[in-house]
Amino acid sequence: MGAAEDEVTQVIYRFYDALEDLLRARGTAPMDEIWHHTDYATTSHPFGSWARGWTEVKVNWEEGAAVFAIYSGHNQRSDRIGGIHDLKVVVVGDAAYGTGIYRSKLYMSDGELNLRLNCTNIVHRINGVWKIVHHHADQAPPDWQAAIGRMVEAGHS
Amino acid sequence: MMAGAPHLSAAVGSEAGGFRVLTSLDGNLRVEAWGYWPSEVIHAFGIDAAAAAQTLTPSSMFVFDSKELKPQGTEGQEALRVLFRVLARLPFAKGTIVRGNAMTCMQLSRLLRECNADKRVEFADAQ
Repeated sequence: MGAAEDEVTQVIYRFYDALEDLLRARGTAPMDEIWHHTDYATTSHPFGSWARGWTEVKVNWEEGAAVFAIYSGHNQRSDRIGGIHDLKVVVVGDAAYGTGIYRSKLYMSDGELNLRLNCTNIVHRINGVWKIVHHHADQAPPDWQAAIGRMVEAGHS
Repeated sequence: MMAGAPHLSAAVGSEAGGFRVLTSLDGNLRVEAWGYWPSEVIHAFGIDAAAAAQTLTPSSMFVFDSKELKPQGTEGQEALRVLFRVLARLPFAKGTIVRGNAMTCMQLSRLLRECNADKRVEFADAQ
């Protein structure tokens, strides 16, 4: 793996570390930091439609944090909620993308809730700094989305 | 759908983000919202939607059509809370939120709960 591929790989792993922080109510600052705050930033989540431009992208991550602020299934656990697997990175000049599989496990009051999604992240090098400009995750299955919806409506997991 | 002769307010905002209020002579109210709101839309919504909601009566039907609405930022959420706080204390027959974007639905659900209005409305799929 070349230096650029290694840098991009680390950025993408840091993105999922930031997602883990967000899901575990440790704040959105790492997620803010890993993105270039550009008008062409875009993201789509397992239960969302497209957010286009950094303003909307930021709001989507903040809402994700608000949704999971009421999740308590990992309060007494040390295992991760989720992570990226089978990550493959391609670098072309100052742009790069990574494809992988995001797997997560939530511990809800009525049992485990598992998720497995294909994901793509696009990373851009601006002034020598690689950061995320695009994140796409498949839509989650309806039963997973419904379980998260019930958590939000109930105000607890 | 609106029964009675509907009165359609002018849309506020643009295709990228805005809302409109529809009232009917028999007291029903429909608010349609879409996109991501800029500051002028947020300001207008906080005034117009809440004022329209004040006209609801015990026999009124209220519909908030959010199927094209994106999750809103801090100021947009506060404008929605203004409306939901009004709904929480008003008597009306039935409240419905037409859902679209799942993330928006979760945001609205959270805001309704924060405003103690979650028991006053139910979510429904777009027809």
